[in-house]
Amino acid sequence: MTLNRSLARGLFLAAVALFFGLGALRYPIGRMDHAGPGLFPLMISVLLGLVALATIVRGVVSGGPGLDFKVKNIGLILGALCAFSLVSRFLNMSAGIVVMVFIATAAGSNYSWKRNIAISIGLLAIAFVFQKFLGLNLPLL
Amino acid sequence: MEILHNLAFGFEHALTWQNLMFCAIGCVVGTLVGLLPGLGPLATISVLLPLTYSIPVNGALIMLAGIYYGAQYGDSVSAITMKIPHASSIVACIDGYQMTLKGKTGLALFTAGISSFIGGTVAIVVLACLAPTLGEVAFLFGPADYCSLMLLGFLCVSFVTTGSLLNGLAMCLIGVLFGQIGTDVNSGMERYTFDMPFLAEGVGLVSIALGCFGIAEISKNLDAKNERTPFNGKIHLMPTWPEFKRIIPSALRGSVVGSFLGILPGGGPTIAQFAAYAVDKKVSKYRHEIGDGAIEGVAGQAAADESAARTSFIPLMSIGIPENPVMALMMAAFIIKGIQPGPNMIAGHPDIFWGLVASMWIGNVFLVVLNVPLVRYWLSVFKIPYNVLFPSILFFCCIGTFSVNNNLDDVFVTAAFGLAGYIFMRLDMDPAPLMLGFILGPMLEENFRRAMLISRGKFDVFVQRPISATLLGIMAVFIAWQLIAFLLANRKGAKSGKGNDHDQDPDAGTVAPQGA
Repeated sequence: MTLNRSLARGLFLAAVALFFGLGALRYPIGRMDHAGPGLFPLMISVLLGLVALATIVRGVVSGGPGLDFKVKNIGLILGALCAFSLVSRFLNMSAGIVVMVFIATAAGSNYSWKRNIAISIGLLAIAFVFQKFLGLNLPLL
Repeated sequence: MEILHNLAFGFEHALTWQNLMFCAIGCVVGTLVGLLPGLGPLATISVLLPLTYSIPVNGALIMLAGIYYGAQYGDSVSAITMKIPHASSIVACIDGYQMTLKGKTGLALFTAGISSFIGGTVAIVVLACLAPTLGEVAFLFGPADYCSLMLLGFLCVSFVTTGSLLNGLAMCLIGVLFGQIGTDVNSGMERYTFDMPFLAEGVGLVSIALGCFGIAEISKNLDAKNERTPFNGKIHLMPTWPEFKRIIPSALRGSVVGSFLGILPGGGPTIAQFAAYAVDKKVSKYRHEIGDGAIEGVAGQAAADESAARTSFIPLMSIGIPENPVMALMMAAFIIKGIQPGPNMIAGHPDIFWGLVASMWIGNVFLVVLNVPLVRYWLSVFKIPYNVLFPSILFFCCIGTFSVNNNLDDVFVTAAFGLAGYIFMRLDMDPAPLMLGFILGPMLEENFRRAMLISRGKFDVFVQRPISATLLGIMAVFIAWQLIAFLLANRKGAKSGKGNDHDQDPDAGTVAPQGA
């Protein structure tokens, strides 16, 4: 039995339900008329668990298209976001924007330093416009 | 008469130079961003939300509404010219693109624009008449009724947006659970925060929206690697008089259908388009032409699209419950600006409510006089290569996330939801219901706890109150109908040797009404 999309979906939902459900047990549950902070998330998690179960059953019974997962592009994009945040914190946001552009464009169909520099300049200009004219509080310098 | 008076009051507030400017900017920017591949209204609004932070409340809401309508029109333009379907413009792809193939792009774009105008105008009349009345009704709602209404909304949205009840419900529930992250208002206890201070106030809506729609979309387009060929055809906008005469009846039909469907829970533009298209196919004088590029095929759905987009503001502004994901985002934007939508909004902020209503119409006028003639220039957006476009969208995601709280940690949250959005996409799960669940989750919990407190822990309260009982009854009928349909489909499938049910394909449910 291969992992088809419906089965994977069910397992994923079950994982989310377990995560939030077990988490809810760490908080006081209370009673129905005086609900504690854990009661509502527990109820929702149980519901989600049921939906997950139904999805798993359906995945096993009727199958579905296979799973297709490419790590490279999403990895680069998320890496670019995290780099933006880190560089902006330790240096400044202008540098963050440039770093973000240079990492993210590696996910594109072709890579060009010249184009990256042009994009960076354009985005920096937009950022300065946002800061000066829209009053956004960007630590650019 | 009172309505006229109120509308005049609204126009007084909307017709300042500042507000006119915000409305125009919203329409133009919304159209431009809405045109971009993969960015539907939800993504467009979330990317552009930061633009409104520093603007006064009135102007900000007007601009947001402008962005929304602009994005919708942008969507239908890309559908007509290049057959790039977004969730909100699937129907426009059918006849609109056929018209482009026949060299009538200009006519299709003009029809879409003018029909939107007609639809919007009808919807605003409905909105102005109904919203205050419905606001009175909302005062009858108790906590149990609110709970039932939200659950009904979940059910309808799950079905309408994904075509599969199970998948949609799963996403709603995940949204509700994400909404639990943060400090519990009743006990002050921090839930699921892992002692990280930036999670104490909960996950930002903008992070979720940008992660699930912006970033996931970008990676999808990058994975697909299809370079789009920009539209280079000629655009001749003005229709002949006989052509123009064909637009009107169809647009009016679409407006009525759209206005009605926009109000219902789970309703909104998408379902309205399909319904209007189906109606035109049944009753239009030119119904034999629909499907291969008839004016009616564009006019009816465009009018329904626009009118449903407007009337879906009614439940949000009068009851305070958003009924589809876009409205959930709007509600969040309202709250960011310090306005709580609900029965008290019309009484408490009449200038904002009526100003918004009036500015919707002004936005419509802008769409017709600005966007329709200039559409050929808008289309040059497509000449920008995607390799330049996606870092720019990413830049907007970064700035947008950061500017909500001026907090760089939020960018990590956005990245985390980008990953979640990517997983959702690969697993064929539509994140739109998640947005609704996320916004309504905390409200659902609060009302549920309150209802239980009042009823001393007895669930009877949900069936004893007439409003709640009615809503639950509708849900029961709906679920029963779904179950029966599922079983029948399975039996048929087993007979023909194919075990696949319609749930396997997320588009199957939404595309189904075409045949009607």
